[in-house]
Amino acid sequence: MRMSRILAITSAVALMAGNAIAQEETLKIGALVTLSGAGASWGQGMLRAAELAAEDVNENGGLEVGGTNYKVEVIPYDDSYKANEAVTAANRLVFEEKVKYIIGTVGSAPILAIQPITEENGVITMTLGFTAQALSPEKPYTFRPNPTTAEVAQPQIDWIVANQGIKTVGALFPKDETGEAIAEDVAAAYSAAGAELAAVEFFERDRVDFIPLLTRIVAQGVDAIELDGNSPVTAGQIVQQARDIGFEGVIVRTGGPATQEIVNVAGNAATEGMFVHSAFDPGVEKAAAYEARYVETYGETMNGFSPFFYDGTKMLFAAMQEAGTVEDTEAVKTALEGLTDYEGVLGTMNWTGEEPYGIAHQLDSPFYIARVEDGAEVIVARCTTTGCE
Amino acid sequence: MSTSVSAPPMASAFGGWLFVALLATLAAVPWFTGSVFHFHIGIMVCLAGMATGGLAVIAWVGQLSLAHAAFVGIGAYTSVLLVTRLDLPFLVGLPAAAVVAGAVAYIIGAPLLRLRGVYFVLITFALNELFRLVMLEFPGISGGSSGIAGVPKIQLFGITLAAQWQVYIFTLICLAVVMALLWLIRNGQLGRRFAAVEENPALAESSGIPTARTQSLAFVIGCAIAGATGSIMAHYVGFVSPETFAFQLSVSYVIMLVTGGRLALWGPLVGAVFLTPLPEFLRGAVEYQHIIYGVILIAVLRFLPQGLAGLPEQIARLRRDQR
Amino acid sequence: MSFLIAQSIINGVILGTLYLMMAIGFTLAFGVMRIVNFAHGEFYMIGAFLALIGVNWLGLPFPLALALTAALAILLGALVERIVFRPFRADELSGMIASLGLAMILQHAALIIFGPDPQSFPALVSGVYRLGDLIVPQSRALTLGVGVVILLAFYVFLMHTRMGRALRALVQDQEVAAIYGVRLEIMYPLGLGLGVALAAVAGGLMAPLFGVSPFIGATPLLKAFIVVILGGLGSIPGAALAAILLGLIESLTSSFVSASAADIVTFALVVVVLLIRPAGLLGRGEA
Repeated sequence: MRMSRILAITSAVALMAGNAIAQEETLKIGALVTLSGAGASWGQGMLRAAELAAEDVNENGGLEVGGTNYKVEVIPYDDSYKANEAVTAANRLVFEEKVKYIIGTVGSAPILAIQPITEENGVITMTLGFTAQALSPEKPYTFRPNPTTAEVAQPQIDWIVANQGIKTVGALFPKDETGEAIAEDVAAAYSAAGAELAAVEFFERDRVDFIPLLTRIVAQGVDAIELDGNSPVTAGQIVQQARDIGFEGVIVRTGGPATQEIVNVAGNAATEGMFVHSAFDPGVEKAAAYEARYVETYGETMNGFSPFFYDGTKMLFAAMQEAGTVEDTEAVKTALEGLTDYEGVLGTMNWTGEEPYGIAHQLDSPFYIARVEDGAEVIVARCTTTGCE
Repeated sequence: MSTSVSAPPMASAFGGWLFVALLATLAAVPWFTGSVFHFHIGIMVCLAGMATGGLAVIAWVGQLSLAHAAFVGIGAYTSVLLVTRLDLPFLVGLPAAAVVAGAVAYIIGAPLLRLRGVYFVLITFALNELFRLVMLEFPGISGGSSGIAGVPKIQLFGITLAAQWQVYIFTLICLAVVMALLWLIRNGQLGRRFAAVEENPALAESSGIPTARTQSLAFVIGCAIAGATGSIMAHYVGFVSPETFAFQLSVSYVIMLVTGGRLALWGPLVGAVFLTPLPEFLRGAVEYQHIIYGVILIAVLRFLPQGLAGLPEQIARLRRDQR
Repeated sequence: MSFLIAQSIINGVILGTLYLMMAIGFTLAFGVMRIVNFAHGEFYMIGAFLALIGVNWLGLPFPLALALTAALAILLGALVERIVFRPFRADELSGMIASLGLAMILQHAALIIFGPDPQSFPALVSGVYRLGDLIVPQSRALTLGVGVVILLAFYVFLMHTRMGRALRALVQDQEVAAIYGVRLEIMYPLGLGLGVALAAVAGGLMAPLFGVSPFIGATPLLKAFIVVILGGLGSIPGAALAAILLGLIESLTSSFVSASAADIVTFALVVVVLLIRPAGLLGRGEA
């Protein structure tokens, strides 16, 4: 409480003094992500994206907004992928830490649970949650920097079906909100592309043995197996076990960059020839540099969603500078919506989503179809939301 | 289990008043700080205290239930469905939640309570998982894995409790009612029957206490309290899904109960007051918070076998021994 | 159709044996210590990481890495018995809750040390054995073979050595065993150490099949729970029977109905068995 008042007074003073002397202030950004339990891979990738973005501006002497220099501080909170814990953490971030910007959440249930608090208090959130309900005109402060299956499925599946001559597809999805949403999107995309999602199975998230399910799917003679919606570990196990029981068709992962983790679990041999979604063209210099920096800083492989949140956080900073304020989130929100052709590490970014969600708060970025060869991605097609080639 | 059942945790009347004064001061903390977040934590403490209070009633007849979260969930869904689908007021949903949870407990209690000790723990664990899985199978009722978002806020006589401090006052009153109920049970004839069953069911049966009926009654009361808690929780948080009521929630209630004191009247409350805010103090050390939590849990079990509520008594005993 | 049934039965028996590997240490720990060990899955996870360190970092051959894992796990188990569980010998419920605390500590320590991402474990073999239309993946066959050898070795140890007999005596009746000169101060740490070692070896053995990450402990804990409830707490033959049954139920229901039905059937069966025969299929009456 007192902190923000001081902040307000000092920034007012700074304004009066003009831009002659840049004041040094602290800008707090919340990172409400999953840091324990099975969603922690994504949560860490998001947290680190925010940290790296903050490091960028801090190294340049801070983020200059309206004549004040802000040192950006990222405050991480763990929600354990649970709605109740996310609500507690959101209460703390919004009312105690007085943050106006939250990077998070990872899960769909947590974002739906915290939106009543963040929207009412004008707190801008950047979520990974795949649920379509996360974005709507009634929720003007929520943005999603990563494409979901709804965005990438159609062009990618069109290409795969056409190029691999696929007629029937089998798929396994986790029995959770993400899995069910993706199952619908993917099924629609396959039928629009002229193929059929012939065999669909849902399973409990902790399951490790897929052989009975795969046996049934393979017995129906499918041409391909779709992996979208599964966590990297589960996807890896499915690939390995599908190959174990002698499945020789195509394995496809539409959406959800996780190739490295899948290869880690399933090994090079099982993943050979798999078609995956990739947001990441290592040929693009900036993208490769981000990955190298991530690996060097944290000593771990980069989570595939991390670059989206790096770009998203940087766009948020740009919007603050554009709006000339860090306090008035409505102005920042409007400035963020107004950013076009933003050059991020992943390429040129624009807002989309007016039609499916009723609000253009979905980031649209280029993506790729890659074939896995010897454990690494080789890009075979470049896509936008309109098509692949 | 421990045998010192009948000994009240607070030895003297003075100690009792001191304890009540301390609780009242603690309850007033959010008003001193004026922080909305502290009100939120206060609400969470009240809800945890109520649910754990229900668990304590079951523990008083010698059973430890790992299905408590399922009954919180039954209450939550009952209330949410009545309010959202049938447009009934929250004041109908709340008692209905308690009644439905209690009724389910009555129906399954009879065969269930024949099991004792670890076996009861295990079957209730299985039941909690079964509840979650079955709810996931019926998305029409439960919202499936996406849950039900936008649950309306608590409404009392036309007043919507929108602000955290309003909800906090309401939950404080509810918690006081639950604790008063526990106190009445504890100090009435029922409490003596519970204690006798806890200590030795065979002996209790032979001295004319209907063991099965007594246990069933305790189970129904405990689960009904859980159901009411679930109703308030759902309308405060605004979101329910079957995953919310997974067995981890049961585990956290059990941990609170045991840390507070399994057989003490104030055990559940002390456990909730101590453990609910604890992660908030540890959040500074995001990576280590769960480890520290685990260490504290083991340390409390190890050094305070009566739980935190037994601490004054333990200190008093130490003093006596020194003399 | 008959092909699918036969294939499902083969899958089920293999899976059941893997589940038995996951559960056997849990049932031993309960038999000796009377502790429902919620940290069991975390020891499985630690075993997987130890094997990973041995194979990937130190470049040891897999069997040697597995043997080292077992040895370290026995020490770890004995240590944990001494520090965490010893004070709760007379109190099953407190011991159970202490194990919850222990599980939290172990899982998050692993998260800090290794990070949340899955680690790659080199496949030992690949390909399938074919019997007509029927398929057995070689990786599973190998795991199954090694698992059966370990289970048999454990069985021989339990039935035909002095220590094994002492352990069995403890499982049967602690007071009588003590009267007959079983040295509790050695047998308790040894019992838990062996239970932990079996969990860790299972983790190491299944690492190439099911992967390695700090969160892999949830599945073995759940399966061990079910197997042990069905079979009877502390009954090793009961656990064997229950594990195979569980594998068959999962495999057949998953193949012919659906995956979520398999989980519901399993838990419903657990509830029914507990109600009809609280001591489990082959457990001793005690409830």
